[in-house]
Amino acid sequence: MIEKKFRIKNKLGIHARPAGQLVKVATRFKSAIYISRNGNEVNAKSIMGVLMLEAGHGSEVIIRINGEDEFSALEAIEELIDKRQFDEE
Amino acid sequence: MHAESAASQEMRIKGLAVSQGIAIGPAFPFGSGIQDVRPHEVAAAEVEAEVQRLTQAIENAKSELTRIGEETQERLGERSAEIFEVHILILDDPEIRGAAIRRIREERLNAEWLFLQVVEKYEQSFSHFKDEYMRARATDLQDVKRRVIRQLQGAAKSPGDGLPGPAVVFAADLMPSETIHLRRDYVLGFATELGSRTSHAAILARSLKVPSVVGLGPVCQYLVPGTPVILDGYSGQLILNPAPETLERYEKTRSLYEALSHKLARSRTLPARTKDGKDIELSANIEFFEEVQPAIADGAIGVGLYRTEYLFLMRDELPTEEEQYAEYVRIIDALHRQPIIFRTFDLGGDKAQRHFHVHQEANPFLGYRGVRLYSEREEVFRMQLRAILRASVRGRVRILIPMISSVAEMRFCRGVLESVKEELRAAAIPFDEEIPVGAMIEVPSAAVSADLIARECDFLSIGTNDLIQYTLAVDRSNRYVDQMYRAFSPSVLRLIRDTIHHGHAQGVWVGMCGEMASDPLATMALIGMGLDEFSVSPVSLLVIKDIIRRVHFDECENLAERVLSYSTADEVENYLSSVFRRKFRDLIIHDPNHPLVRREQN
Repeated sequence: MIEKKFRIKNKLGIHARPAGQLVKVATRFKSAIYISRNGNEVNAKSIMGVLMLEAGHGSEVIIRINGEDEFSALEAIEELIDKRQFDEE
Repeated sequence: MHAESAASQEMRIKGLAVSQGIAIGPAFPFGSGIQDVRPHEVAAAEVEAEVQRLTQAIENAKSELTRIGEETQERLGERSAEIFEVHILILDDPEIRGAAIRRIREERLNAEWLFLQVVEKYEQSFSHFKDEYMRARATDLQDVKRRVIRQLQGAAKSPGDGLPGPAVVFAADLMPSETIHLRRDYVLGFATELGSRTSHAAILARSLKVPSVVGLGPVCQYLVPGTPVILDGYSGQLILNPAPETLERYEKTRSLYEALSHKLARSRTLPARTKDGKDIELSANIEFFEEVQPAIADGAIGVGLYRTEYLFLMRDELPTEEEQYAEYVRIIDALHRQPIIFRTFDLGGDKAQRHFHVHQEANPFLGYRGVRLYSEREEVFRMQLRAILRASVRGRVRILIPMISSVAEMRFCRGVLESVKEELRAAAIPFDEEIPVGAMIEVPSAAVSADLIARECDFLSIGTNDLIQYTLAVDRSNRYVDQMYRAFSPSVLRLIRDTIHHGHAQGVWVGMCGEMASDPLATMALIGMGLDEFSVSPVSLLVIKDIIRRVHFDECENLAERVLSYSTADEVENYLSSVFRRKFRDLIIHDPNHPLVRREQN
């Protein structure tokens, strides 16, 4: 199992479109993937769960991954959150 | 966009005008009637059926979203379309779909009620969010909720049901079955998120004469029931919360149009005959059975173009002979022996791919389409001819072959027709032995050799849309060159004149089923060139007849001669417009948004 903390840097936070992007990335992997904020942990493959975190700009989230492809999953999520910043314009 | 910010400001959205008229009234977003949802118990034996009903509704909502997403992407780009993917993810979320299904099984209540409960729980949480942008996500949930509830109620309810009074009905899309069951006096107009000019619902809206605009994109989510709207079925404009001056201007325009159509309707049953007694055959272009009655009511003496493609596009399989026969009989019977011209299937480009395994072509318009498919797929052509011939005993049927570009193609088609006739004779199946066969003149090579083609035919029908695009080498869906697409180009007019002349010299009559036949500006010139038959879009019947009845044949001949003497399309159009303004001032409604002369996709 691996875990990593992220700060949400894009201006609008994880609203609908970014949540959709995260869910789509997460569902590509076999591993169980969770995302938590302020102690609330939800399934990162559920868009409702991700939206309910209300992870706005500047908030801190923890991604926890458990499974055979956990490393590549984390890499893909890092790419989306940190590098691409949800492709926000 | 927030619902609140749109609450009082005038807002304009452009869609595709598909049915003329102006509707002014309160909006009724179909599906906004979900406050009607009440809980009721479901019998133990019915629980699984209820689960199935919800699953189906969610699947339908998803395919609706997929289509809206595709259309939005084409129009506005990938980014704008992403929100629909999010909506699909929401529908697939175990917390939504799974929870609702579990609750149906546990609580044994109806799907509508429980789905609403599940979604509204989240909606409430969202509305308590601190972040304003996150809070606005509640609108996404509302949209998703409405879509599914509408699907659940769809089977039992049509969009006009539950209308509190006259209103402009909004929907994602309109199913033909829904359109047909509406209370006409309550539906002021139709506005849809999806659709194109040629969608079945659009055609029905036209025949029901309900002003309609389709392809507006995601509007339902901004609409509070009762929002005042103007729907302009001439320009495709939707105006939410119109300012008082906008409202006044549209009310004035609407009353002018109403007065005009009222006046035109008086000549409904009168013949399409010039003042000096020349009869013109005025018929209608149709695609669906439902269009026959209204066209006849507006004075069409028959159908000048029956497009048969939809039977081939409805499904993945080709229609059988029996299916075709049944549909043809239904349409012929509705005509009560008034003539009808069947255009054999005219498929090409992407439309033909499904059935004919046509490969991607670099230039589909110059490729494998229309009659060019018939030799390789002769069995499909034969099957359609059999169905038409068998149906021909019930009325006055004529056959028209699309995309003819040479005499050889015409001879091939006649050969196949003879062999199908022989087959029917051998089987003692009756058909009209004298069934007339015509060529569609829409390729320049056919127009310039119309004399040769006419010898092989009983009539000719000019299809102007393709004729113009091929003559001028202009694809009018290409915005870089679309301004060069000019119906009144001298080159096009000469081809039309020559086709009519050659047809008459060979003793066959010549009609026109292209868009130009519906253009009031062209009517006098076409009469003057000797055109025998005008097949027009049903909405244009009354205005074209009015023009025919107000002119003399020799005056049209003079006008045609003058038109053919000009050297540019501008000169022709300027001259025709000046004549039109002088002679038919009453047919022109002065409003910059509403040119009288409208162009229609064919």
